[in-house]
Amino acid sequence: MPSRPPVQQPPDVRVESPDVQVRSRGPRRRSPYRGYVYVLPAFAVYFCFAVLPALHTAYLSLFEWDGVTLGDWVGLGNYQEIFQDSILRRSVLNALVLVVFFSFIPIVVGLAMTGLLARFRRPGMGAYRFLFMLPQVVPLVAVGVTWRWLYGDDGLVNQTFRAVGLDGVTRAWLGDFGAALIAVGLVGTWVLSGLCMMLFLSGVQKVDPSLYEAARLDGAGPVREFVSVTLPHLRGEIAVAMTVTTVAALASFDIVYVTTNGGPGEQTTVPGLLVYRLAFSEGKVGLAAALAVVLGCLILGIVYLINRLSRSES
Amino acid sequence: MMERTHRMRRRVAATVCAAALVLPLTACDALTPGSAAAVPGPRSVPSSTAVPDGDITLRLQFADAPLMVDALIAAFEKGHPNIKVEPQYKTFSDYVQNLKLTMTSDTAPDIAQYAVGMTDLAADGHILDLAPYREAYGWDKAIPPVSLDQLTAGQTSEATGGRALFGVPAGLSMTGIYYNKELAKKAGIDGPPNTVAEFEDQLAAAKEADLTPLGVGALDSGGLHLWAALLNQLMPTDDYWDWVNGTKGATIETPAAVSASRLVIDWGRKGYYNDSANGTAQVDSTAQFAKGDSVFLINGNWAAGQLATVMGDNVGFFPMPGEQASSPTVASGFSVSYAVSSRTEHPEAAGAFLDFLTTPEAGQIISDNGFMPPNPDAVKKPEGVLADIAEGHRRAVADDGITTFPDFAAPAMLDRLRSGVQKLIANRIDPSDYLDSLQDEWEEHHAE
Repeated sequence: MPSRPPVQQPPDVRVESPDVQVRSRGPRRRSPYRGYVYVLPAFAVYFCFAVLPALHTAYLSLFEWDGVTLGDWVGLGNYQEIFQDSILRRSVLNALVLVVFFSFIPIVVGLAMTGLLARFRRPGMGAYRFLFMLPQVVPLVAVGVTWRWLYGDDGLVNQTFRAVGLDGVTRAWLGDFGAALIAVGLVGTWVLSGLCMMLFLSGVQKVDPSLYEAARLDGAGPVREFVSVTLPHLRGEIAVAMTVTTVAALASFDIVYVTTNGGPGEQTTVPGLLVYRLAFSEGKVGLAAALAVVLGCLILGIVYLINRLSRSES
Repeated sequence: MMERTHRMRRRVAATVCAAALVLPLTACDALTPGSAAAVPGPRSVPSSTAVPDGDITLRLQFADAPLMVDALIAAFEKGHPNIKVEPQYKTFSDYVQNLKLTMTSDTAPDIAQYAVGMTDLAADGHILDLAPYREAYGWDKAIPPVSLDQLTAGQTSEATGGRALFGVPAGLSMTGIYYNKELAKKAGIDGPPNTVAEFEDQLAAAKEADLTPLGVGALDSGGLHLWAALLNQLMPTDDYWDWVNGTKGATIETPAAVSASRLVIDWGRKGYYNDSANGTAQVDSTAQFAKGDSVFLINGNWAAGQLATVMGDNVGFFPMPGEQASSPTVASGFSVSYAVSSRTEHPEAAGAFLDFLTTPEAGQIISDNGFMPPNPDAVKKPEGVLADIAEGHRRAVADDGITTFPDFAAPAMLDRLRSGVQKLIANRIDPSDYLDSLQDEWEEHHAE
């Protein structure tokens, strides 16, 4: 690591500072608050539509409420129930499994594709990015419905297996206790791999081509080039991809709802699905709010961790 | 020094702000969730059935059979020129999910289709008790008692002496078994079975003939229909009613329910279901049956129109048979029924509409749209599979054997049943554990 050059600082700042303090007794004293005034409109909107609902959710989580009649104050009882309920615990585990399919695999796939494409950069890169972006453009509900057909009895997946003589492998993927979660996870992989690739490809375009040239002159092979040049430059993008995909996995709802609705049994039940069910069809709004708060905290914690890790390495 | 006081002042300000935010949250009763949804005026309709003069518009919100509703409204408006009915259609899942919010809002429709959440709404007075009209219009004569029993909102009715009524049925539904006549002949099956044991033999015969015996769409609700159909035969009907209605002390953890659950497991082990039952939605299982993929299909009469169109005379229907040939016919079913909001300004007009549903004219419209009219004697005889269903329903009604669907036991029961039966089909749960999970949910809901 080269030593950091000293920060360019006007040398006279510290000398002048008492003077500034003296002067600030005048009308300029209010200036620290003026900034807040500028922020106020944005903050008001944010507060009304994001902070307040979140606080309201947290408040509701302290009640037992069916959504209609007067609620009963139960304090932290709902939270206690969450940590004792085996279905709720199971759903969190399922969501963590989905992280592998929604986050880990797409990032690895994205990096591999980027490694291949970055080495032979051609003007057509924009077209690739467009192609990879396509799964992102399709609404997730449509994605789910389509994959339900593909995974069906006579769907494309089973047809393919039969065509190559693997009749024994075919099954109703979404109805199979062993395969359902993986099948749902792979839908997420399909959707999010494109996003990761696109992020990494645009990141790699910022890399100075001369770096690759230099690496090649030094006799670096494709792997070495990827590890030493491409990867370090993509750290920021990887952190972003990790954050977005992990949140997508933990907060997943639409794909699961449309494909399996949490079944078979509780094999693909995820917290997002339970929040929806508890609040809207089971009339347990307080419990749903408590689960949403726990889920929100879990996501915030993991995102914080990802950001910390990616920052400390840079 | 100055900096410190500054920081301190800021801290104080922050604390005050936080307190200002939190205090009203804890101190004010008005913030308790649900306090805004105060119960509106009357709990019951007036006793007079005379519809006032002047133009009246009724809003009707519903989720089933839009064509039938349009035809019913057109016929009703012809007889009541001063009343206009404005239909508001919603898809079933949207309807059920928003039902509580809709019915407790100031813009609640005058008339709304009866659905699972109505029990709670009735208990809190958000829909009107129709008992006075039951007497005044003589609905007890026009509608078979089983169909009205389903609309008494469980315990709420008992609290009011058992006469309370929260809806009037238009079309009635029931579940049962469809069979493909050609495939059945191929498997050597010569007609509907008379007992559950005989049905099992037929399933075995179909399996023997290398056919898929029974189509089940257990991804959504097909599995629970199968389980409920078997439960109806093995469990005493009164005990089942007590459980669904939430009668104190009722339980589903009975030897009969264990036997019914074990049958679901056994049939799965013997390979009687389509391989992918757990991954197949009910509509898909119906489509597969229509294509000739299975000999039998478990579903309700709502699929009859579609099957009759595609399969013509090749399809038949029978209710799940009992343990003995002499056992009463018992099947789960419900109705497309309508309730009246407590917020309506025109209860008399709404009552006139509900009464119209019990007339022969309405019955014919209902029958033409594939549902069973509450009073089947008043309509033309249906043909083909529709005739089979009408006959099955007639027998079940005569035996007092139309029971509600088991998910009416509690709002969360549908999910427990769906995932539980999936586990039974895959032989992944013990019957007693499955029933235990249902009973847990039941006790949680009926604890209050």
